[in-house]
Amino acid sequence: MKGLLARMFGVVIVLIGVIALIFIMLWVIPGDPATVLLNDHVSQANIDRLTQSMGLDKSLPEQFFGYMKGILTGDFGSSYFMQQPVLSLILENFPYTLRLTLLAIAFSWTLGIASGVISAVCHEHFLDYLFRGTAVLGISVPVFMVALFLQYLFYYRFSLLPLTYDGSFVSLILPAVALGWNSAGSVARLMRSELMEQLDAPYIDTAKAKGLTYKKAVLAHALRNAAPSVITLMALQLSGMLSGAVITESVFSIPGLGQLALTAVQTRDMPLLQGTVIFTALLIAVGNILADMINTMLDPRLRTE
Amino acid sequence: MKAERKRNTGQELFRACLHNKAALISGLIILLIILLSTFAPLFTHYDETGQDLMNRLMPPGNGHLFGTDELGRDVFTRILYGTRVSLLIALLPTALAAALGTALGICAASFRGATDFIIMRLADIMLSIPGMLFAMVVLYTLGGSLASVVISLILIEWGETARVVRSVTLKLRESEFVEASVSAGAGGLHVMIWHILPNLLPTIIVLFTLNIPASILSESALSFLGIGIQPPQVSLGLMTGASRQYLFQMPWLALAPAGMIMVIVLSFHFFGDALRDILDPGRRTA
Amino acid sequence: MTKRHVFLIALLAALALAGCHKADGEKPADAAAETAQEQAGQTEDGLLRLAVNADIVTMDVHKTTNDYIVPMNVFDTLFSIKKKGDGSTEIVNRLAETYEISEDGLTYHFTLRDGVVFSDGTPLTAQDVKFTFERMLTLPDSAQTDYAIAIDGAQELLDQKADSLRGITVEDDRNFTITLAEPFAGFIASLATPPTSIFSEKLVTDAGDAFGVEPEKTIGTGPYIIREWVRGSRLVFEYNPKYWGDEPSVKRVEVVVMEPQVMSMAFQKGDLDVLDCFLLDAAIVNSTYKTDTYKDRLVSTERLGLNFLMLNEKIEPLNNVQVRKAIQQAIDREAILKSIYDGDGKLEDGIFPTGCLGYSSNNQGWLPYNPAAAKKLLADAGFADGFDLELCLDSTATDSVKNTIQVIAQNLNDVGIRASIRSLDHASYLDLRNSGDMTAYWALWLLDFNDPDNIIYTFFGSRDNTKVRSNNYADDAVIERVAEAKTIVDETKRFKEYEALEKKIVEEDAAIVPMFSLKHLYVIGDRVKHFTPHWAGWNDVYFEDTVL
Repeated sequence: MKGLLARMFGVVIVLIGVIALIFIMLWVIPGDPATVLLNDHVSQANIDRLTQSMGLDKSLPEQFFGYMKGILTGDFGSSYFMQQPVLSLILENFPYTLRLTLLAIAFSWTLGIASGVISAVCHEHFLDYLFRGTAVLGISVPVFMVALFLQYLFYYRFSLLPLTYDGSFVSLILPAVALGWNSAGSVARLMRSELMEQLDAPYIDTAKAKGLTYKKAVLAHALRNAAPSVITLMALQLSGMLSGAVITESVFSIPGLGQLALTAVQTRDMPLLQGTVIFTALLIAVGNILADMINTMLDPRLRTE
Repeated sequence: MKAERKRNTGQELFRACLHNKAALISGLIILLIILLSTFAPLFTHYDETGQDLMNRLMPPGNGHLFGTDELGRDVFTRILYGTRVSLLIALLPTALAAALGTALGICAASFRGATDFIIMRLADIMLSIPGMLFAMVVLYTLGGSLASVVISLILIEWGETARVVRSVTLKLRESEFVEASVSAGAGGLHVMIWHILPNLLPTIIVLFTLNIPASILSESALSFLGIGIQPPQVSLGLMTGASRQYLFQMPWLALAPAGMIMVIVLSFHFFGDALRDILDPGRRTA
Repeated sequence: MTKRHVFLIALLAALALAGCHKADGEKPADAAAETAQEQAGQTEDGLLRLAVNADIVTMDVHKTTNDYIVPMNVFDTLFSIKKKGDGSTEIVNRLAETYEISEDGLTYHFTLRDGVVFSDGTPLTAQDVKFTFERMLTLPDSAQTDYAIAIDGAQELLDQKADSLRGITVEDDRNFTITLAEPFAGFIASLATPPTSIFSEKLVTDAGDAFGVEPEKTIGTGPYIIREWVRGSRLVFEYNPKYWGDEPSVKRVEVVVMEPQVMSMAFQKGDLDVLDCFLLDAAIVNSTYKTDTYKDRLVSTERLGLNFLMLNEKIEPLNNVQVRKAIQQAIDREAILKSIYDGDGKLEDGIFPTGCLGYSSNNQGWLPYNPAAAKKLLADAGFADGFDLELCLDSTATDSVKNTIQVIAQNLNDVGIRASIRSLDHASYLDLRNSGDMTAYWALWLLDFNDPDNIIYTFFGSRDNTKVRSNNYADDAVIERVAEAKTIVDETKRFKEYEALEKKIVEEDAAIVPMFSLKHLYVIGDRVKHFTPHWAGWNDVYFEDTVL
């Protein structure tokens, strides 16, 4: 309980750090929403007027504390660029990213764990190389290339799946595979290396001595002991997935958080970027806390920490 | 005495690599790629930026092994030169991030308390912002160039290493042999260098080799968004990104650099795995 | 074996998730999308499917200068511009039934078309016109003040020194008068552009912040109603049965946001009715669509705009006119046009592109590609050893523009100018350009309305304009003449003045390197009988002009 409170405190500190960091970065980088909004039809008078109406002419501390005050009262502000409340934009976009990410994670875990186990069990066997090859293919090709090939194959060649996201579930399969394949490789290799370490451990011999078959020994003991590292990686993956979503969402026209964040950075939309980043940071923090809790449950030794 | 032991370990490692098929093959491929790109001018008589507008988008053949690109430049030559940049992006930021992450991770685990708290919260902050977004902001600030790509990759990669190294170090400190050497009177630094670091190596190497593909792919994603390496400089990611339009009509344009990315990534991947097997402390002591 | 395995696992995961998905009930957005699809399936006739490469930001045209697809089709302007058979353009009445201009060119009297209603039934009145222009000037984040600024009293309203726009007098529901501060020959043409779309005072006020954001609150008098807008994904339009004009052949339009290379796939599979080739490389268009299969389905129109290289006279040594003239002659424009754009365009030597009113053939044909002469000019100017030059590139530019810049850099290097390319992301790029410090950059100006003022004033009309365009043109007398030219009432005299200004700025002062105007190509699918591109070749089109 005390541990959890401390973690919460840590999360709050991290969030404040994130907000401050983004504030400073957006302050440093050139360009502002007013110039992007006016684009080619620009005049000095309009730049000045828009800058003022967005409050961008205020000083950095003034903007920062104004924003923090809003946050404390639950007001995430309005997007400068899209002229809509940030919270409603995020809540509108998040479900799409959630669906995509869940599906991608499911795909990557299934492929990753399966190939990791097979690699470890049939070490140096040709199956080992085959599975490692498949899993590693995902980490060796840029996401957008994987996406394009999937689109080419499943849409253009075989007319099996929709080209871009159209609101239906089937149109999420290709983006999820494109996104998930990338991290399947990471899951697989960590799984494999952890498992192999575990397989060398004396308790496996004990287990075998006890009459368990080799495979059962792997599944029953090694898998459980390798779990903490894999779960930690999965929590880390969440952030990677959200990064990958930026590209995947734009290739497949998914109206998700990734695209929102991308637009926010591109247009220097401070409230929108802050909103999306705070949101993802919270997600990742929750993911990490969950991972730790699961790890603690699986491995009582960690409880002493 | 100690120096002697170190050299032996190095020789042992080298010999083990020679005996491990995967390590040998992937190591040789890496060596070959490094040589090819380093001595690029020996393998081609074209200039990587030399344009020939009359001969744009030529298919492979006619003196161009992989054809020509959208400005009539020789794709093979550009791959050789692009590999230089991509190898740099694969190794430099990854190594620096690994070093930084390891140092900070060990510090956090050793000193605990406030140091631990600050370092880990910093890592959390970096890990809380999706890497791609963070890299974009850094690149927008510094402008797209090789140096900015390297800096942004270091910034997004160190946190993960720090976090993993910290947790493994904590585990190791609890382990029997470290406790034994501490009770035998060994000092903190001694324990760190001779007991914890060697045992951390497999983890660090796995993370390092994991981050090599990640670095190359991040660069290509940034190039896809148009903010990574900028022309006339060339990288494999930039070439792949720029030729995605031609993927189905002129596949060689995107496939050649993408294939090279794959070869590099796979080589490092298998090399890293093999190295891990060799370095595995459990086996060595056995 | 492995592949099948992977696929199986994917399928299993998919099925598992599909199960969960159904169990926890449909999300409203999904349900809407599915019914929309069903409807689309039933009403196959009249459906037009288009793709764009970037989503719009807002449907409220007062808050954007880029996103015109909604205002063009959901709202109406007082006039519109149509392209005639010979390629010239004419102004056609739309919401304005008649108009008269006073002899001094200051007072315009308009009568609105009778019986026009907004798509919810609210009648259109002259007061709505006044409200629209007042809103343009009073909205704190208005991006379109320029279109109202010519009206008498607009500056006072903008500066918050007045409560209403005194230049517009509403006589009754259908009649109103607009008085200008100074004569402006392009005024009627400017009333034919999407930014001057007429809004309803009542509906906009009622909608509040939701106007331009929520489809059901964004109501106009145009031929279509905006049904659905999913940010970053798609827009759906439907025919407005209360539309005052003829019923168009296109009854429903679905616009999907897609990456360019994806559009081409979708088109070939028949999932898009019109493919905009603008974003595709000319070589792809050539090898895929200028073929026997598609050549009858190619539609081409002139993009009424100029592509050019802007040079900043503030930055050394570009302040030297000899150097600028050398750059003009060092660039092989023809080779670029031929290779990168597959010859789909025309070299331009002036600032007014072909098809623009005021275009003068007297100012054409003087600019040769002559690297030897360029070298000599450089040597005479004292730069025999060349100099460093930074070409700025917007990282969101099309691949063709990126390639063009690389060729220009090569051309300049060939005459000894050490040109480097500096790529900046869109916002940083605009920021640098607006600050007046960008050294040289690739510029494209597409006409908003067909008047020479639209292009020359934008770049050379005032000190501020020359600064935000980073050209910092030095001759104040010429800048003043550009600003005054728009007030010349006599058309012949006015065009003569523009011709002289063009010669002075482009040929004598070499303020820009004029490059070319381009064609805009489209490929249309089997379901489309007749496709009409925008009169100026913009990416956005009027759906009602297309026949299925």
